[in-house]
Amino acid sequence: MTDPATQAPRSGPGLHTVMVVLSLLMVGPFVWMVLTSFKSFTEAADPAWMPGAFRWENYPEVFRVIPFLRFAANSLVIAGWVTLLQVLTSAMAAYSFARLEWPGRDRIFFLYLGTMMLPGLVMLIPTFQLMVRFGLVDTYLGLILPAAFSAFGTFLLRQFMLGIPKALDEAAEIDGAGKWQIFWNVILPLSRPGLITLAIFTFMGNYHSFFWPLVMMKTVDKFPLPVGLMLFDSERGQATHLLMAGVSMSVVPLIIIFIFMQRQLIRGIQIGAVKG
Amino acid sequence: MNNRRSELRRTLTGVGFLLPNILGFLAFTLVPLAMSFFIAFTDWDILRHNIFRRESLSFVGFENFTWLFTHPEFWHYMGNTFFLMLGLPFAIAGSLGAALLLTRVSRHPAALRGALVLATLVLIASGLVLLAGGMAEMGVWFIFGLLAAGMLVGGVLTGGTIYRTLFYLPHFTAGVATFVLWKKLYNPQTGPINFALTPVLEQFAAAVQVAAPVFAVGVPLTAGVLALLLAGWQVRRLVRQWDDAAAGSVAVALGAALLALPAGFLLHWLGMARPLATAGVIVVATALTIFIVRRPRPWGPVCARDAGVSAEIAIGLGLVPLLLLLAAGVALGAGLPAAAAGGIQPPNWLGDYAWAKPAIMIMALWAAIGSNNMILYLAGLSNIPPELYEAADMDGASSMQRFWHITWPQLAPVTFFIFVMGVIYGLQGGFEMARIMTLGGPAGSTTTLSYFIYIEGFETGRLGYASAAAWVLFALVFILSLLNFRFGNRNAND
Repeated sequence: MTDPATQAPRSGPGLHTVMVVLSLLMVGPFVWMVLTSFKSFTEAADPAWMPGAFRWENYPEVFRVIPFLRFAANSLVIAGWVTLLQVLTSAMAAYSFARLEWPGRDRIFFLYLGTMMLPGLVMLIPTFQLMVRFGLVDTYLGLILPAAFSAFGTFLLRQFMLGIPKALDEAAEIDGAGKWQIFWNVILPLSRPGLITLAIFTFMGNYHSFFWPLVMMKTVDKFPLPVGLMLFDSERGQATHLLMAGVSMSVVPLIIIFIFMQRQLIRGIQIGAVKG
Repeated sequence: MNNRRSELRRTLTGVGFLLPNILGFLAFTLVPLAMSFFIAFTDWDILRHNIFRRESLSFVGFENFTWLFTHPEFWHYMGNTFFLMLGLPFAIAGSLGAALLLTRVSRHPAALRGALVLATLVLIASGLVLLAGGMAEMGVWFIFGLLAAGMLVGGVLTGGTIYRTLFYLPHFTAGVATFVLWKKLYNPQTGPINFALTPVLEQFAAAVQVAAPVFAVGVPLTAGVLALLLAGWQVRRLVRQWDDAAAGSVAVALGAALLALPAGFLLHWLGMARPLATAGVIVVATALTIFIVRRPRPWGPVCARDAGVSAEIAIGLGLVPLLLLLAAGVALGAGLPAAAAGGIQPPNWLGDYAWAKPAIMIMALWAAIGSNNMILYLAGLSNIPPELYEAADMDGASSMQRFWHITWPQLAPVTFFIFVMGVIYGLQGGFEMARIMTLGGPAGSTTTLSYFIYIEGFETGRLGYASAAAWVLFALVFILSLLNFRFGNRNAND
């Protein structure tokens, strides 16, 4: 973090004060969210920050009013499957692009890169029509399949695999290993940091995803969390205190993942931008 | 023969590993892409063409596109999309600023004692405040005091890592949860933002009334002088760029047009009719361009006509919003005492036509400062060779000079990357915010292209219009990316 080049070390109290104030600005909305989650229904309409008494019973109440656990389980299952499939298919494709020699490889790779520029919106409407056609509307499969293949993931892992010394493949080949064995036993274990990074990105992105589940899912019991939480903000009226309790519970796992995975993530962001 | 067989083998293996991905790519990218292109030229309407009612589709040629382009709403939504992207320069500046601050924080064992003392003082102060005011009134200050003390000690112990984590938090959690949260924060009656603003604005209104003439004259005058200084700086810069052959005539014209634009808005706000103000902008921009371009270049014309365009775009992105703000100060300043007489009400944020977009931009800024962009800038900063700064120090460069002559040019590739990605995402953005926070309102002021496509594609069900709009969006993304790479790469390589 320290960079003597940019400035001589000057972390005086002034600098720390600025950083603390900025941090408070970033955290402030979350503080309000947690405080409001402890309010009563009437207090939630009062702009004061503090609840009169901390109502812990709001949290069990969330589980009574909406099937919160069901929503959370849906989110975890969907995001989990998407992550598994996407990491696997991306790793295979990346292996092909980064470590196998075959004619036309680089041309196909650039075609892949090009699709990263396509706005997803262009594809959404026809994809939905395809889903209607194949009866996948309101199914988990309909949410998982379109998200399971990613040009970005392929790109990220390719960048990563390019950095693994070529001699390892050759040594394994001399020992008589096939391409699949090299991929599975040599390259995959060595790409672990890249795989973990992609897994976090994919998981987070799909845990947050709102648009596609919103149009695809009709049965309340199949909603993932982001869509399910909106129930507090619509048909069941404006239960701000419960909404905030639900939102707090949905954000907490993210914060925990983030705190433990920070270093991996930061590395991944930097790899992904090398050649953008 | 053997050679060809081994080549075939290698191709089969290579494609074999690619196969799962390729199948997905075909099914969920290529086929939908082709379908979307086809739908854009048909009159597909969910109400008339579905599994139960199969009226035959008909091709309508470019009718969907002409329908879009002849409807003022579509231009309105496109304008909204671009307006919201004006937040991008602020977000980039914020990320860069945060990264610069973060690199200055270092692990300093000696500072720990000071931090502990300061943290204890903060704790005692907030404890006293709590005692004096009671939990209901002052509890929140106690909580913030507690957090501040913890952050300070953590920041000193970890050498700033904790600050980075906290800055990144809003971006990491950004999604439905934070949009819902901000919707509540912005609520004019029950939200904390206006709760905090109301007393501040009351004080301000009182101050304005006490010193009405000072404000009536002072605010427009200050804003006007600042605007003129800024404009003068930019004119001088343009002249110098032209003389140094760093900017061609296209760049000068662009710079002049961007400079004249806020003046046109000012004229319009001061009561001039729209066509007249537009004409004013054109006249001023043309006159300025001719004035500069007719200057003789001592060494003859040595640069291409479009040299320096990217620099003008970059500067314009910062300058135009600033000048617009100052112009608003000039236009509104004189009326300030009259407005303050009735007390100044805090804005109705998401419920107000004029404030909904700024409200969304503020929220986006909150989420964007500590985002991936900050991480990229941190990496970029640590890649700058220290020798550059050492050499600058020997020449006695000020910290401003160090920034503008070393840091900023060295970071140009990073800035370029962030800008390109920001534009691509910005054009497609705004759907979730609109859906959750405003439903595109009030009066369409927060409907972006992406939300429009959603409405047409999934609510009214006019797939033809939706697909046509999606392709317009695609064309915009494509053209802007091309322009970026055409002009931006040159800048990044300088």
